[in-house]
Formats: sequence, structure tokens, C-alpha cells
Amino acid sequence: MRKIPGVLLVVVIASAVAAQHLVAQDDSTTARIERLEQQIRINDRLREIWQDSVATVLKAAPVISASRDGFSIRSADNAFSLRIKGYVHSDGRYFLSDSLKPGTTQFLLRRVRPIFEATVFKIYDVRIMPDFGAGTTVLQDAYIEARFAPGFRVRSGKYKPPVGLERLQSATDIVFAERGLPTNLVPNRDVGFQVAGDLFQGRVSYAAALMNGVPDVSLGDGDNNDDKDLAGRIFFTPFRNSTGNLLQNLGFGVSGTLGNQVGTPTTTGAGLAGYRTAGQATFFAFRNNNALNGTTIADGRITRVSPQANYYAGRFGFMGEYVKTKHRVSLNGVVETIPVEAWQVVGTFGLFGGSPSFRGINPKKAFDPKAGGWGALELAVRYGRLTVGDEAFPVYADSTTQARQASGLGIGFNWYLNRNVKLVTSYEQTKFKGGAATGNREKESVLFSRVQFSF
Amino acid sequence: MLKRSMILTVGFLAAAGSVATAQRAVTLLNVSYDPTRELYQEYNTAFAAYYKQKTGVTVNFQQSHGGSGKQARSVIDGLEADVVTLALAYDIDAIAQNARLLPANWQTRLPDNSSPYTSTIVFLVRKGNPKHIRDWNDLARPGISVITPNPKTSGGARWNFLAAWGYALRQPGGNEARARDLVTRIYKNVPVLDAGARGSTTTFVQRGIGDVLIAWENEALLAVKELGPDKFDIVMPSVSILAEPPVAVVDKNAGRHHTTEVAQEYLRYLYTDAGQDIIARNYYRPRNQAIAARYANIFPKMTLFTIDEVFGGWSKAQPLYFGDGGIFDQIYQGR
Repeated sequence: MRKIPGVLLVVVIASAVAAQHLVAQDDSTTARIERLEQQIRINDRLREIWQDSVATVLKAAPVISASRDGFSIRSADNAFSLRIKGYVHSDGRYFLSDSLKPGTTQFLLRRVRPIFEATVFKIYDVRIMPDFGAGTTVLQDAYIEARFAPGFRVRSGKYKPPVGLERLQSATDIVFAERGLPTNLVPNRDVGFQVAGDLFQGRVSYAAALMNGVPDVSLGDGDNNDDKDLAGRIFFTPFRNSTGNLLQNLGFGVSGTLGNQVGTPTTTGAGLAGYRTAGQATFFAFRNNNALNGTTIADGRITRVSPQANYYAGRFGFMGEYVKTKHRVSLNGVVETIPVEAWQVVGTFGLFGGSPSFRGINPKKAFDPKAGGWGALELAVRYGRLTVGDEAFPVYADSTTQARQASGLGIGFNWYLNRNVKLVTSYEQTKFKGGAATGNREKESVLFSRVQFSF
Repeated sequence: MLKRSMILTVGFLAAAGSVATAQRAVTLLNVSYDPTRELYQEYNTAFAAYYKQKTGVTVNFQQSHGGSGKQARSVIDGLEADVVTLALAYDIDAIAQNARLLPANWQTRLPDNSSPYTSTIVFLVRKGNPKHIRDWNDLARPGISVITPNPKTSGGARWNFLAAWGYALRQPGGNEARARDLVTRIYKNVPVLDAGARGSTTTFVQRGIGDVLIAWENEALLAVKELGPDKFDIVMPSVSILAEPPVAVVDKNAGRHHTTEVAQEYLRYLYTDAGQDIIARNYYRPRNQAIAARYANIFPKMTLFTIDEVFGGWSKAQPLYFGDGGIFDQIYQGR
């Protein structure tokens, strides 16, 4: 057997040691890489978990928002919210022919109304809206509503009874500074409860209310008798879901009230209201000398019925309503039923920037000349008439001072700078029949201006 | 006039109300824990068909899943669950005690303490078990990376914790100090605490982190099924804990939603042969022994202890180990 040379043996041993070292080194490097990879994965996962936690926290956090619809804070699941809204009407009224001083040219804060709305447990709403306009404080709305289903909502509190079409339109959306003559004949606000809803995908809206009952155009916070009034309204928009249909925004319906009112001479207005022009001058009132002998009082059944319709297509808008009331009144024990009727038609035309709707115009571009935005301009025309039945004269109302008919013609321009700011200019002329010792009461010509800020 | 007005109004309300209640479909919200997604997905379909055939009523389901403790907190805070199917009885007790949405004796209303299925805690390891993990004490070895969720939010994690603790107590010479030492060393090896069991599975299986996942048996079996037996092995420790996830109708919520009857039937159906079969197919151990025998190859026999035997029940274990400042907090903050 040949001997392995010593040198070769040393080389072999050295190589073996080196190889072993290299393998150990390889193992160590692999392990280090694996450890580092693990650490990177762990860091990535921790970041992922942290991001998930942040997302979860954000998802559960209340949402605060400020938009053209107001300011709100709501829970992440929308079950609870508080919304703060409001509007201000800064008006000017300029009487152009007032030798008999039916009204006073003046600047006034017509409406100053903060609105607080809240929702709890998803379906229970509350709305509170006081009015500080004209330096007085009046609670306009304060009601609680439960939305059990789109077709079944229950409301309790003080709110607009479901009667007059223009009355049901928000004060921020009416096209003239003041509502028209028919609004004289419908209740303003009353206390009671109401069931309402939208059926058949919103094609039919109904409302039925049981309320204290208030005189025409009046607000009430309580009652002076045990009788309660029923108010109801049904309104159809049969084509509302037919996109592109020319009749999509056609609506029509009828409303009415049925109740008893009993007035006393000590009650302001004796349970009966006076009727006002657009300039807010009273052109008709029943006799009232604040004494039992000589004051016409509400004395029994009062009924109202009001067919109504509106229609909007493209740049055109139309609204019309008719109201007929019958009041049972008495004077010195002599009883009579007095019919009063009123109607109006209102036409609107979007000159530029947007299309009219029941909720006003939402300008396509807000006023910003540098960006080419001019807001939206709307032309509005209306004609209306209110007629008090002959039965009222001369016993229950003084024909030498109270007009038996008022006819109003108005034209106006509304410039929507954006959804929140609107400038209103309108001219309204009202002519009368009767109301003067000889002939007719002097016509009223009023120019209105309004700056509206709403949010 | 007043009387007529009242009669008309009441009549109108009654008519509107009867229209509103004339419904033929109900929706149940089942608030459950993390790994039951697949189980209830299949079960809900089967129950809806069964109930439709029986009553003509369509049942729609909303499922909510998350760490069991977190889910209980959500129900207490107003999540309107009709039924809860959580990881441990303590979480439903918390709903009963803090929100009074169901009676304190809820567990007596259904068989087997209202636990229609059981499970246990096992180890999921990488294929071939390269770190040679055989039992609980292997998890405490230096260099072993252990994945388990956070016991403060996850019911499964609490079972994991107590399983390790119970193992240590049952070893020769086992006592509280040794158990605490073992569990402390295990948590030193935990690099990531997920909020729930499903999150931990994601960490281990999809993100490739860790050497071992302490997992619900059903979650481990599901992972092997979904990702293939060539990627993971399941290791059964020498001893583990018998987990009994309970179910209950949340009386007040169900009453408000007019779903009490269907909610009760929903839980009772879990005990039927059909329900137990779905349970077994989804890797939960069925209570019905005949069904269990059919799936014996999936569920090997193990030595299991109960929480009552070793810890005196959840009412004692929860505050001691998992309450604020409890043993888990002491262990984890001291890492």
C-alpha cells in the first residue's frame, strides 16, 4: 500500500476544515436571512394590524360635516345625529302708492330661523325651529317624528298642517317674497299629531292629522275648546319614477280640514282671522270691538277644501291652488256661514343656470365670475284672487272699511347666487273691490327686495 | 266631532299598522366570533330552506364576525343582534349582566349548556414540523415563534391561554407558579397579537409568520383543507381544553324585531341531525354521538379538561386571568 504524502494529507485535511467552515457559514447566513425575512414579515403584519385598528376606530368615530345643507355631527352608523340649519330673510318693502298708508316702507328682518334637528336610534327625529323675525320670538316648529316605514310616519307636536300647497313649501323655496292670497285661508302652524307616508314608490303621499284647530293663516300653541280638527291631504305624482317622461314632475292632489271653532271677544281675532295682501296689510277683517256685543266670533263648523297641483319641466314651472272655506260665525247671537275662496296660479321660468322645482333652483354653477359661474336667474309671475262671500256684509264685516275681494298680480326675479344665497326682487300690485266708504280701497303696489341666506 | 275624529284616526292607525305587519320575510342578525364564518354560511342556507318549507316565511341573514369579546361589547353597546353565537359563555354572560338583553339563566334554555358543538385547541405547524413542536412546553423554547390572538379581545385566545395553563398544572409537580412561568415564556415568543382567531390564522398561514399557530381545532382543519396538506401539519398536544362555544337568543332585541320565534327555532335547529351534520362538516365536534361517530376520523380522541374542572368556570377565570390588571396583563406588559 502506498503511503499518502504528508503534504497531500495536510491539504486534504485543510480542505475538509475549510469546507466544513463554509457550510457552517452558509447555514449561519441562511438562518440570518430567514430571521430577517421573518422580522420584515412581522413588521409588515404589525403595520397591517395597526392600519386595521385605525380603520376600525375611524369607522366607529362620529362624523362631523359642513355642507350647503348645514352642519351636522352623526354617529358612524347614522343612528344618531344632530343637524344645525337655519335661514335669514333680510327684506325691504317699498310701497309705491300709499296715499292712504296701507303699509310702511321699511327694511325688516322678516324671518330669522335657526333650526335644530336630531335623530336618535335611526328613526326618531326631532325638529325645533323658533323664529326671531321682526323682533319677536315665535316657536314655529317643534315636533317629534317616528319613521317606522316610508309609508308610515307618526308625528306629534307643532308643525304645518297638511293643507296649503304653498304653505307646505319651505319659506326658503317660495318664489315671491310673500306667499299668495290662498295662503290666507289655510292654517299656518298647529299642535296635534299626524300620520303620513309615501306609498307606491313615492307616487302617492298621504297625511292625516288630528289637531287643535286654528283660524285661517294662524299659528296655535293650544286650544280654547274641546273640539279638535281633522286635516288631511293626498297628493299624487304618478310619473315621478319615469325618468325622461314629460310628466315626471307633475303632481296633483287635494287637501282639507274639518272642525269646529268657537271664539270669544276676548280672544284675539275672536277665532277668526283677517286677510292680508302681499304687503302684509289687512284688507279684510270681521267686526271686532273687543266686546261681546259688536264682535263677530267663530261659532261652529269650519271647513276647508283645497285642490292643488304643480308641474315642472325643463325651464318651466307651474303651481296652482284653490282654497274654499266656510266659517260659521255669529254676531250678537245671529248665526251665518260665510264662504271665502281664493286661488292663484304661479309660473316660473329659469332664465339661466338651472331649472325650477318645488324646492327652488339648485344652480348648476355657483356665482363666481372668475370661474364663469353666474348662479341661476328665475323669472316668476303670479296672479291670484281672494273673495269673501256676500254673506259677510254688512252685518259681520264693515263694507265701508273691509274689501270683499282682492286680486293680486306679481312679477319677480330670483337670483340664486348658490344653493345658500338668494336675492329676491318682486313687484306686486293688489286691487280691491269694496273696502272704502265709496267705491274701492286704493290699490296696493309694493316692491320687495330680499336677501336670503340659508344653510 | 271630537269622538268622530278620534275614531277615524284610530281606525286609520290600525289599518296602517296592519299593512306594516303583514310581512312574509324576516331578517336575523347573528353576531358570532371569528372562525365561524364558513359554518354559519352553510348553516344559514340550510335553515332558511327548512324554515321556508315549514312556515312559508323567508329568513334573510346578516352575519357579524369578530373577536368574541369585541362582539359581546358591540352588542352591549347597541349592535342589535337577534342571536349571539360566541366563543365562550362569559361573553354572553357579559351581555346579560351589562345590557340585560337576556336573562341570567340563558344557558339553561338549550341542551348541553346551550353549546350545540364543542372544539378544542391544537397546534398548526409548518409541513414536516421543522421545529419539532410536540406539546405545550415546546412553545416556550427559545427561538420558537408562536402565533396566538389577544385574549383581551378574542375568545379563542382565552381558550389557548387556559389550555397552556391547565397543561402546566397537570404536569408532575405542576402548580400556579410553574404554570405562570410556562405561559410567560410562551408569550415571550409571540411576535404579533391579532384581535381575533381569524386574524392569527392570516398571520400564520398567509403572511408566513411564526413556527406554530395555537388554533381552534376547526380553524386548523380548515386551514389544512383550504391550503393543502402539503403545507401544514396539525399537532395534537398531550392534553388540551374542551371549548364549549355557546349560543343564545338576545331576547330584547328579538322581541323588538318580532323575530323571537324564528330566532329560537334557528338555535334549536343546531341540535337536529341536519344541524349537527353541518357542524361536523365544518370541523366543529358535534354533540350528537351518532353524528360524531360518522366523523371520528376527523376528530381524534384527545385528553381534554374543562374550564370548570381546572379553573372553576368562566366567572372565576375571566377576572383573574383576563380582567384589567389580571394575570395576562401582568405577563404581557412584563415581556
